[in-house]
This record gives sequence, structure tokens and C-alpha cells, in this order.
Amino acid sequence: MTEIMTLQNVSVHFPVRGALPFLRKGEIQAVSDVSLSIHRGEIFGIVGESGCGKTTLASAMVGMIKPTAGQVLFEGVDLNRLPRDEFKKMRRRMQMIFQDPFSSLNPRFNVYQIVSEPMLIRGEDDEETMKARVVELLELVGLSSQDLYRYPSDFSGGQRQRLGIARAISLNPSFLVCDEPVSALDVSIHAQILNLLLELQEKLNLTYVFISHNLADVKKMCDHLAVMYLGKVMEAGNSDKIFANPMHPYTQALIAAILDIDFSEEREIIVLPGDTPSPINPPSGCRFWQRCPKAMRGCREVPPEYVEVEPDHFVACHLVNGFPDQELPEGYDQPMVPREKVPGR
Amino acid sequence: MEQVLKLRNLKVVFPTDYGLIRAVEGVDLDIFHRECVALVGESGCGKSVTSQAVMRLLESPPALIRVDALEFDGRDLTQCTEQEMQEIRGRDMAMIFQDAMTSLNPVMTVGRQIDEMYRRHNGDSKKEAREKTVKALELIGIPEPRERANSFPHQLSGGMRQRVLLAMAFACMPKLIIADEPTTALDVTIQAQVLKTLRGMQRGCGTSLLLVTHDLSVVASIADRVYVMYAGKIVEKAPVKDLFTSPHHPYTVGLMAAVPRLADEKKQFTQIPGTVPSPVNKPSGCYFHPRCQYATERCRQEMPRLKPTGKDREVRCFHPLSAGGEQQ
Repeated sequence: MTEIMTLQNVSVHFPVRGALPFLRKGEIQAVSDVSLSIHRGEIFGIVGESGCGKTTLASAMVGMIKPTAGQVLFEGVDLNRLPRDEFKKMRRRMQMIFQDPFSSLNPRFNVYQIVSEPMLIRGEDDEETMKARVVELLELVGLSSQDLYRYPSDFSGGQRQRLGIARAISLNPSFLVCDEPVSALDVSIHAQILNLLLELQEKLNLTYVFISHNLADVKKMCDHLAVMYLGKVMEAGNSDKIFANPMHPYTQALIAAILDIDFSEEREIIVLPGDTPSPINPPSGCRFWQRCPKAMRGCREVPPEYVEVEPDHFVACHLVNGFPDQELPEGYDQPMVPREKVPGR
Repeated sequence: MEQVLKLRNLKVVFPTDYGLIRAVEGVDLDIFHRECVALVGESGCGKSVTSQAVMRLLESPPALIRVDALEFDGRDLTQCTEQEMQEIRGRDMAMIFQDAMTSLNPVMTVGRQIDEMYRRHNGDSKKEAREKTVKALELIGIPEPRERANSFPHQLSGGMRQRVLLAMAFACMPKLIIADEPTTALDVTIQAQVLKTLRGMQRGCGTSLLLVTHDLSVVASIADRVYVMYAGKIVEKAPVKDLFTSPHHPYTVGLMAAVPRLADEKKQFTQIPGTVPSPVNKPSGCYFHPRCQYATERCRQEMPRLKPTGKDREVRCFHPLSAGGEQQ
């Protein structure tokens, strides 16, 4: 398998300005020092809670946000070094599907205008070709040619999401970022959209980045995944390996937090204390130490390294990797009772 | 057991330019003392309208409401004046909404908003009220409650704001709390915290809880009894364990299959075909028949009645499923 997308030490920081524009208050470290590689033809999941940087990371992948540091390589080419016209050409092959199908479609455009817009921007001007292509795309996503001149308001949430998908695949992309594609939809519609995505992937030979906060969806969809917390990757690798043997305490807690509807087996529920801290002044050391049920004293000071613990399974945790050889604070490997009081946002 | 709420044959209709929207069509609801009852359904099934009608929060007009009986704690709510209702709301019956940011007043400290409950309903002085507020915040698991009481809603995280709403709802120890999607806007780890607190408070205070949600996994973790709604009608009613171990209605079966589970097969999602019918133009016969794999001619013609199928269980289906998912 070849790599289609490689991230090398990507960081995205946003300045936070004070009352006066030249007074910089600090910066939000939305994504810090993330390295990942995504292979052609796979589904790569990014999981995490709100504010952990998953959407920012995806935006950096498609070049919508310039990383503050690090490189984003699409098929081996650094996106941020490309001249503008070359970048535009490249950008056609990477598309996005958005979370909210109500705000991501122009309410004043009809279906034909929505789906053909990317082609129009590419410079296609033949009405007949475009129309034929739009009808073809509509049928591919489970809509019909009768819908051609209807408006988004005539459709249900699931159908609108289908429109969003048709628009995203109109230029035959090879890389598709799906940002929470089903979380705005009704439960009984989730499965329809996810099945459609799987079907299209097979038909069109696509690579997906699948962003979600629902671990069960991710487990079923993805080949590889990355678990993010406060802008950092905590655990990443082969999805089967991670679910079979979650090593990072955060991944373990996330898996345990999935409420199950099975009454047959009792599962232990880990309730993490506190809230996700603010990314403006992230905690020192490991970013998770304040909420970690297994934190040690050293976790507060020494940031953990991101290590491949078994083939295709990376973890950033002192508990798994041990502390590095350097000067360590006294009693660094003593367990720390998580503080009751974790500063809120 | 003491009955807290008795609702019989609730019908709510909204006239619109496109025709009549029959939001709720004959819903019966019983809630007993210390019980957590869940009302489950997808968007547009009438679950929120039902809960608002119970608190008499629906404006009429536009809503046209007809109800055979609405009794709360032995009182006939349909006979209460608006002033009496204002006394009841908050003191005997409270509501928790989905989005804490929009249900809290952004220009008032959260402490003052909770104080209001005690001052309005108990006639406490400012000082007494604040003492109780601090205690309530502490009970609900907010660190540094005295300092936090002086925070504005935007200074708190989503989970904390939801806790403030919980503290407010439990403030006067009401008999019934209606929680409309209380954890939908929260992250998974925070959802686990808030549900645990909600359940603990409900048990501790001896309150009954009506949980309105679309999320079956939330239902499974805290409810005692469940009503499943589809297109304005109750389609199944059962104790929680029975419902999840042997659902009878094909819609319930479909909903449960649609909840992804960790143990499931990869790359395959069980789906319910079609979409929820438009409320203006519902299908003939059983509302679920166009999406039901077991539908017969009779289902297309005739609306089934809610029939008892076991102890405390009812289902609205001509061909209910038995335990193994087989047709009876």
C-alpha cells in the first residue's frame, strides 16, 4: 500500500488577540506536533471530543488551513509549497463532506446548481455534459433525475447529506474528508449514509478520512485510526489492534464511555473526572494528566514520546513506554491521585 | 405505587399553510413515584411536543390541544389557571433542556439564576437562597461551588452548564422532572458524568423522571420503563430490560439495530429503509408500513391498536415479533 497523505510534525496554532489587535494574549494550540500517514484506499478515523483539534487537522490536510509548523504531503508533494495554480489542480482530488447538511448547502441553489458548481469552477461549460454527469452522480448516491430542479428545503436531512456527497465526488476525487457526516442525522438514517459511503469507496476507489466522536462507528468503518486529545495524538494505528488492546488510558476511557444497549454483559464504566482543559494554556507534561485515572507524578512534567509499541500501533503514554532517560522529578513513578479540582474553561 | 402523572389520549395539531400537522395523536402516559420513564423517538415524532403539553407550555393558538385527562400528583392540570401553573412549574415539576447555553440567561450569574428558584418558590431571603444554591451546586458535583456561583454561563464548560441546569431543576425537590435530550449536546466522557449525576440525584431525591431522547443507549443506561414513539403515536411500551432483550415492534427492532455496537461486524451497517413520513402527509394504515419488511395488506389499510402483549407491555402492530426476532 502506498501513502496518499503524510503529515510530518504538523502544528496549527491560532493567535488569541486581546482588546487591542497588536496585543497578543496567547495562542490556541489546536493541533500540535502530529505525524500520521494515510494509505491509499483505506478509511482513516480521527476520534476525539469537541475541541481536540480533529476538524482543524482535517482542514490542514486539504490545505484549507496552513500549518504553523510541519509538512502536509499529498502523494509526496508538500501542499503548502505549491504555487497557487498547481495547488488548485491538486485540490480537486481532495474533497470534503460536512457535518451539517442544513448549513452546507446553499438554500437558493437547486440540486443541479449545487452538484455542478465544482465542475463549473473547474471550467466545464457544456450544459449537456454537466447535466448528464449530475444525473449520473444523483443516481450513484441514491437520488434520481427527477430531483434535478428541486431545492434543499424539499429534502430530508439524509437526502441532503446524499447531495453533499454527490457534490464532493463530482470531480472524481481520490481523497475524501468526511467531517462527522452522520452526527446531525437521525439514528435510523445513520446506517444508510455510512453504507452509502462504504459502497462509494469500493466503486470509486476512494480514500477516506472519517472524523467522528462515535467510537463504535469508527470501529466499524475504519482500517486505521488516531485518537486525539487537546491537539495531540494519544494513540494511533491499526483499528483492530487498538480496539483489541487499547493502551492509552484515554482510549480506554473513551471505549468504556460508549453506552451499550446490551443487557447481557456487565461492563465497567470509567467516568473521567473534570473537563477538557482549555487549549490556550494546555497542561504541561502529558496533556491528559489532570483527568487520567492512572497518572503518575512525572506525567505532570515530562511530555510522553510517541512510540511504536507494536507494528502499526503507536502510543504516547509514560505508562506504556516508560519515562525517558533524563533528569526526572523525585517520585516520578508514584501514582498521583487526580486532583478533584480541575480548572474549567 | 403512587402515580405522579396520568395522561390520556393527548392530541396536538398545528394548522399550517401546508395542511394540518398532527404532531401527537392520542398518547397515553403513566409515570409512577421514583420512576424514570423514557420517551424515545426520532426527530419529528412528537416526543418534545408531548413533554411540553404535559407542562402546559404549548401556546394555544397555534397549537390545538385536546386531552381526556392530564393529572399530576392527583391534580387536574387542565383546570389550573396560568397562575397556578406557574406555581407548579419549577416547584413540583421542572424541566431540563438540551442546550444549556440557550436556556441559561447569559447576563446573569448562574448562582443568581438558581437563587431565583428558592426565592420564588420558597420565599427565601437572598442570603438563605445563596446558601442553598451553594449546597445544591456542591451536591451536583461542581468544584468550588461558592466561587462558581458567581460565574456567568459563558465562563463554564458545557458539562458544567448542564450540571447547573440539573441543580436548578432539583432545587425545589420537584415530584417530576422532564429532561428533554439532557446529554445530546455533550461529549461522551462528559455525558457519562452527567448521566451518572442525574441518575444519582433522581434516586436520592425520590423524583420521577421523564427522559425525552432519541438515544437508545442513554435509555438503556438510566430508564426503568420505555415508550417508543413513531410519527405521533406510541408504538411500543415496555420495561427497559424487556424492551432491549425482546423488542416486539419492527420499528424498535430497527432502531436498536441502528445503534452501532463495538461487538458488531466491520464494514456493514444495518439500516431501516426510507425516511420518517412527513407530518402533513402520513401514510394510510400503520404509519410504519412503508418502511416495514413484514408489512401486509392489512397494515396498509388499517391502523393497529396498542395491544397488551405481557406484563406492563403493549405494542401497536398486527405482526409483533417474538424474542428471537421471529414473527409471531
